[in-house]
Amino acid sequence: MRTKKLVSILVLVLILAFAYFSYTTALSNFTLSDKTNSYLGGIKFHRAAAGLEEGFQIAQQENKPVMIYFWAIWCQYCARFQTDTLGNPQVKQILENDYVLVAMDLDIDREVAQQYGVSYPPYLVFMDPKGNVLERVPGAVEPGYLLPIVTQVREKVRGK
Amino acid sequence: MIPLGDTLLYATLVLSVIALIGLLLKDFKNIEYLNKLVTPAILLGAGLLTSSFILLAYYFVTGNFTYDYVWQYSSRDLPLVYKISGTWAGQPGTYLLWVLVIYLSAAWLAWTTKHSTALSRRTQIITLLSGIYLVILTLIQTPFKLIIDRPEVVDMIAKGELTAGFVPADGNGLNALLVNFWMIVHPPLMFIGYATMTIPFAAAIVYLLTKEDGWEELGRQWARFTWLFLGMGIAVGGVWAYLVLGWGGFWAWDPVETASFIPWLTLTGFLHAAALHRKDKSTFSIAAPILATVSFILVLYAAIVVRSGLFNSVHAFGDTNTGSLLIIFIAIISIVSIILGMRRYLEETDKVEEDRGFWNKTNIFYVTLLLFVVLAFISFWGITFPAFIQLTQGLKVGVASDTKNFFNLWSYPFTIILLLALGFCLNYNEKNKEEQKKTLFIIIGLTIITMFLRTENFYVLDHNSPFWVREPAIYKLIGNISVVSLFPSMIYATWATIQRLIDYLRIKSIRPRIKGIGIAIVHFGVVFILFGAVISSNFTQSIEGGSIPLASKGEIVSLGQGGYGVKIINFSTRSLAEVASAPAAGIKISEINANPASYVNNDVKVTGKVIEVENVPTPPSNTTYMKLEDGTGNSLWVATQSDFPLDVQNGMELTVEGFMMSDFRSNSTQKTYPLVIFTSPEAITGAAAPVSGKYNVQSVQLEVYKDNDRIGSGTAEYLDSQSGSGTFPLVDSSITGTDVYVIFQGLSGGSVPLTLKIIPAVNFAWVGIVLFAIGIILIMAVRSKAG
Repeated sequence: MRTKKLVSILVLVLILAFAYFSYTTALSNFTLSDKTNSYLGGIKFHRAAAGLEEGFQIAQQENKPVMIYFWAIWCQYCARFQTDTLGNPQVKQILENDYVLVAMDLDIDREVAQQYGVSYPPYLVFMDPKGNVLERVPGAVEPGYLLPIVTQVREKVRGK
Repeated sequence: MIPLGDTLLYATLVLSVIALIGLLLKDFKNIEYLNKLVTPAILLGAGLLTSSFILLAYYFVTGNFTYDYVWQYSSRDLPLVYKISGTWAGQPGTYLLWVLVIYLSAAWLAWTTKHSTALSRRTQIITLLSGIYLVILTLIQTPFKLIIDRPEVVDMIAKGELTAGFVPADGNGLNALLVNFWMIVHPPLMFIGYATMTIPFAAAIVYLLTKEDGWEELGRQWARFTWLFLGMGIAVGGVWAYLVLGWGGFWAWDPVETASFIPWLTLTGFLHAAALHRKDKSTFSIAAPILATVSFILVLYAAIVVRSGLFNSVHAFGDTNTGSLLIIFIAIISIVSIILGMRRYLEETDKVEEDRGFWNKTNIFYVTLLLFVVLAFISFWGITFPAFIQLTQGLKVGVASDTKNFFNLWSYPFTIILLLALGFCLNYNEKNKEEQKKTLFIIIGLTIITMFLRTENFYVLDHNSPFWVREPAIYKLIGNISVVSLFPSMIYATWATIQRLIDYLRIKSIRPRIKGIGIAIVHFGVVFILFGAVISSNFTQSIEGGSIPLASKGEIVSLGQGGYGVKIINFSTRSLAEVASAPAAGIKISEINANPASYVNNDVKVTGKVIEVENVPTPPSNTTYMKLEDGTGNSLWVATQSDFPLDVQNGMELTVEGFMMSDFRSNSTQKTYPLVIFTSPEAITGAAAPVSGKYNVQSVQLEVYKDNDRIGSGTAEYLDSQSGSGTFPLVDSSITGTDVYVIFQGLSGGSVPLTLKIIPAVNFAWVGIVLFAIGIILIMAVRSKAG
């Protein structure tokens, strides 16, 4: 009896530890949706389809261009793209000050991705406040490539 | 008006309530008032349910589309056997089967015991309560719902688009993936397995409640039967995934297959507990009944997992109506079981027992039981907590970077310990205990040493996977264990089973000998399945995305690296349908030829027999010119451009729709003639042509080569229908146990897209499953009288 009880308690503790550990590991390592923007290089984005609507409203009020960033959690290029290209100080400054930013998780916002003809991450779509597509940047490009585009699109929208 | 089928269900409900009241009166007040009615009521109820099931099958066979369920899962052109299996293709039908089998087991209980003992009466009460609950669930989502009660139909009738007596001309059709033998047998095996768990559960509850003796004997054969049916149901599901879904494996930790595996694990635990409990009533007096109730609860849980849309799975039925009722059912049973279990535990703790130390049979068996529970919990937790997080926090999470990693990773160490326990228990002998302990420790030592072997990518987790670098530390730690470490315990288990088998064979009396052989066979099965699973999942070679032009028929086309090649022998299409609908005929060719210019700028549809074919490479694509003849001597050229030459031959019937070039000038012949350019043929009939029935099968006959030696041949098929598509891979097994596995995903642009897999050792798993079945049937065949 005593051995059985000891073994039972041991196994119970083991099970609880496993349950707790896998639960927290999943939350910290394997989230398939992102609420803290940790996956997006720390840049604040409007999120998902609802975020897109909200984004266009703000864009129209402030006459700012809209940039949609299509990404996915499993996309390793995205991670580098976020830190090196989007996170590049010059690019980041322009994006945060002069753009309305929206992020789309390719695993979740499939319909939006389809609507814009996006099938792989990372992928950027630049639009004026009315929703006309001005520029598309597919793939993990270098900051030197993205910076002029970001500036041009901004000037285009301001000039209108 | 209530449909006849529902009336039968309501009548069953009334009869069950009468029987229930009769039993309760007898049990609590000892009033015999209704007692005489109990057995007839239960037998009649089972009879009514049987007739309602036959009625449903009859509706399917006759194609009675006044019923929504029949419309949804059948159609006129299905072969008879699939019309019958449509009865259990969807949720309402499987529920009906479930209650039917519960009532059949209740009828068995009534017939064999006549409710003469308190145990049998009380067990019947619990069985009936479960039965009534599930009849109500079946009625809520009844298979006898009329099509005119379907919301969109109600809408259309209200708008006047349909008349009130609307009956569709044809059914929606069966999902293409379900059109095969394995899917005919898989659902009945599963649900019969679910249902036969009811009696062991009911008897266990009674035992926990009133300590009634003989509970284990009452439920014993039922529990074994459940083990067999549930196990075979899961196995058949695996065969289906392997042969039809083209997973390239038989197990993928899909939430629903995992969910049905969990009660099977705890049930296996129960059978082990019952084996000792039967010999000494004080052994596992709580563990055994609790495992029985837990298994039943997990069966209900599996039913919920199938239904709810929360679990991403190939079994997406996506209907949550009955889900909440099942959850309530589970909650009630769980609370009752926990309270009863606790009460019994507190009652029994004051019993003083001598401590015989850790190394005795009961304790090792107890460890085994716990291992089954732990393995069941890993699976349970892996499918449950992501759903829980999604419900409570709205977050989608994965259990690992690749779902199967979670289950493989955590189950691995416990599987090894389980094999060690298996070896030790089968080898157990009170006299030689010290020696056996020594053997065990040596095996444990070997296991630990082999864990550290550095091998050519033979680890618990695939180091070449893109996910590997992103695994958290502990996942990497366990994932780094060499799978070679499985072999010492596996060999130990095999050796112990052989030793045991020899002992059993020496037994003089025939019954224990047959039973012993059965036990040994089942345990061999464990080793076979584990070996097959581990080897096949670790050493599968996959060559993806090969595409072979149909034009290269008869030649070996190399596929990927590694010297593999594929030769197309033949390509053909056929229709599963009994009647293939003919395409609407186009404009007569003679009419077009009379004045081709008048058709310019219009879409022209023509039908004719191919009498001349010419393929012209027009980089980057090919142009296929075909001359069509209408049977009266009039002919017209038609052409299409595609990536690969269109596979048509003289004599085929072709219907195309395209635009007219009245004065096309050929570069080769320098002649001018009318030509219809089309994008894709609307219909081709003939030797090798897509048929236009509801279920079209494309099959490609292949030979697979490695370094120009033929290693396999066969036919890979692709089934296309309005309600989805299915792949039927080529599976060619060899004596060495290595399968050549080719998935064909349907002709595209004149070429055959193929995925080639070389899968070793799968046969071991199939052999293991067959051993399971043979073993348990032998055990069941020997009914020990004394109990």
